[in-house]
Amino acid sequence: MIELKTETRAGWCVVAIRGRADAETADELEAALRAAVAQHPKVAADFAGLDYISSAGLRAVLQAARAAQAANAEFAACQLRGSVKRVFDVSGMQHVLRIDENLPC
Amino acid sequence: MAQSALLTGVEFTLDGNLPELERLADEVAWFCEENALGSEAEFDLNLALEELFTNAIRHGGCEGMKNAVRIRLERSGDLLAAEFADRGREFDPATAPAPDVSANLAGRPPGGLGLHLVRSVMSDVQYQRRGDWNWITMRRPA
Repeated sequence: MIELKTETRAGWCVVAIRGRADAETADELEAALRAAVAQHPKVAADFAGLDYISSAGLRAVLQAARAAQAANAEFAACQLRGSVKRVFDVSGMQHVLRIDENLPC
Repeated sequence: MAQSALLTGVEFTLDGNLPELERLADEVAWFCEENALGSEAEFDLNLALEELFTNAIRHGGCEGMKNAVRIRLERSGDLLAAEFADRGREFDPATAPAPDVSANLAGRPPGGLGLHLVRSVMSDVQYQRRGDWNWITMRRPA
């Protein structure tokens, strides 16, 4: 189960992600992030409510980062916590995209 | 003695389709609850088992296969032991190349992180081919 909520504030489009980003929900996550990146010049993915992520979820985030680069949009992964942060760290995601401790807005 | 050992272990099978991930998560949650394991152990077991499961479906030919995967979890003292067996094509995870996790966006292939994550969260990952089964054992502190 994954829950995705998109809202715009202070010039940023914030996609709040809750639940699990696994092989079953990754497509839904990628679609929401891609849609945000296609429509907004600044997108923040808010991971504060995410309990779990696997390589399939990471791949969705990577694909969104690629789409952002192609669209010349800013894309930041924010509020990574606990084991989710650990998975980002061991996968070297900091070399691939902007990671912020807090939301930019 | 045998009875108390039973309480600390769980064994189940999964069919070869992605919605089975929900059942996998439920089984892991139940095992962790029974054994008073923390959320980090639960996360790591889920992660390692999901990666092996999705690999078996996507690359091993287990898609659509009934009882494609058999999983066994056991706690003995301060150690968790996990066994993962699938009826897919012969595949030793040790033969998969390690991904370059320091590469930038342009240098990232679309896949390859799954087994890296398995090796990151579990130790002593061992592989055997047993008849028609790929058989992987691994451990983690409880």
